[in-house]
Amino acid sequence: MNCLDFKRLALSDPNSREHSFVEHSGSCPDCLKYVGGVRQMDADLSNSVEVEMPSDLMARLQLNQELTEEAETLAMTVANPMKRYAMAASLALALFVAGFMASNQFGAANSIGEDYEALLSGVVEHMNEQPITPVWSAQKANSNANTLLASYDPDMKLKFLSNLQFSRVCPMGQYKGLHASLETADGQVTFAYIKGESVGELLDAGYEGYVSRVKPVRGGNLIIMSRTNKSLEEADSQLEKAMYWDI
Amino acid sequence: MTDLSNEPDEEQVNYTMMDKKRKYALLIEAHSKDLYKYALWLCKDKHMAEDVMQEAFLRAWKSLDSLREAKAAKGWLFTIFRREHARQFERKQFQYKDVESMDTIEDSHHMGYDDRPEAFALRNALKRLPQDYREPLEMQVLGGFSCDEIANILDISSSAVMTRLFRARKKMRQILGHESAPQLGVVGE
Repeated sequence: MNCLDFKRLALSDPNSREHSFVEHSGSCPDCLKYVGGVRQMDADLSNSVEVEMPSDLMARLQLNQELTEEAETLAMTVANPMKRYAMAASLALALFVAGFMASNQFGAANSIGEDYEALLSGVVEHMNEQPITPVWSAQKANSNANTLLASYDPDMKLKFLSNLQFSRVCPMGQYKGLHASLETADGQVTFAYIKGESVGELLDAGYEGYVSRVKPVRGGNLIIMSRTNKSLEEADSQLEKAMYWDI
Repeated sequence: MTDLSNEPDEEQVNYTMMDKKRKYALLIEAHSKDLYKYALWLCKDKHMAEDVMQEAFLRAWKSLDSLREAKAAKGWLFTIFRREHARQFERKQFQYKDVESMDTIEDSHHMGYDDRPEAFALRNALKRLPQDYREPLEMQVLGGFSCDEIANILDISSSAVMTRLFRARKKMRQILGHESAPQLGVVGE
């Protein structure tokens, strides 16, 4: 290999392990210096676009997969048995309706349903585990919340909330969801968006010392936890205006 | 997330026998940082980079059964990413038209890039390359791909990749010869 061929290969593949390339670089100081310069430029270029990956991105990639898998599993369990056991399903449904009507008669409908309780307990469990919530700039909290919501559903958006203080994906009991907090005149209000099957209807309830609201929204549920009714209403009204689906 | 700190080298892993979830966790662990770096460079916007990357990983999850060899994983994942980027970029181009032309130190700082003038000059030199030259160079330098792997991803011959890389570096050096500081270690023509 002569110096011209060497330089040509150095510009195409400076880390080539081709025998003649390695041999020539060992015997020609000028060419060794030349390829050293090319490698240095590559290293400088690579370093110039070096960035820190957002700390929660890996967790989001994992979470997206888990949610997709859950949805796939659910779709499979729903689809197949319905085809095979349509008759049995009809019978089961009839029994369920009969049971529901009977339970209504005896007042069982006054208790909180399991779905609501699981959502509320998940959020409260997380709040108890993490008693300190960071207070971020509204800019950072909004930017983070929008990215996280977009990871659930690309069409889901949040208008800028100047009193949004924090947003992060967190484990909440059996769920994972967006945990965020809003500053209100009566103190901090925590809310969570948990993707999944929506509950049937809005429920206000006292739970573990909080005034809480579980609200069905597109693709999941919104859970708001507050210390006062006033701040709960204030936060809900804000979120009602801020959350939207760009479809 | 699964702790993979004591895992064997990814090259030695037998993907065929591996549980799908574990395969996916390994994929994230091994390639998400490189892919993010590449994604941010291509998208020029943090949020879009994250969006495209998340969508690409979801697509990877859905077709993970087709990935048999660990050594092919990176190329496979980058190919999915590039397709997703092309798809989303076409859709969102109107929103990012201005971002594409951003070149200020302030933008570099916002992206989290090294904002020293020499790093800035290098990035600008790369941006100024024609697309055909820039793409293989990005893959080789930022993605760490070999010429054969780049040929595979871009669906062109290895010799065409070599030619484009040669021209890309030659052009970069021409540009930097006018614009960059000497401490970059670039040897003159």
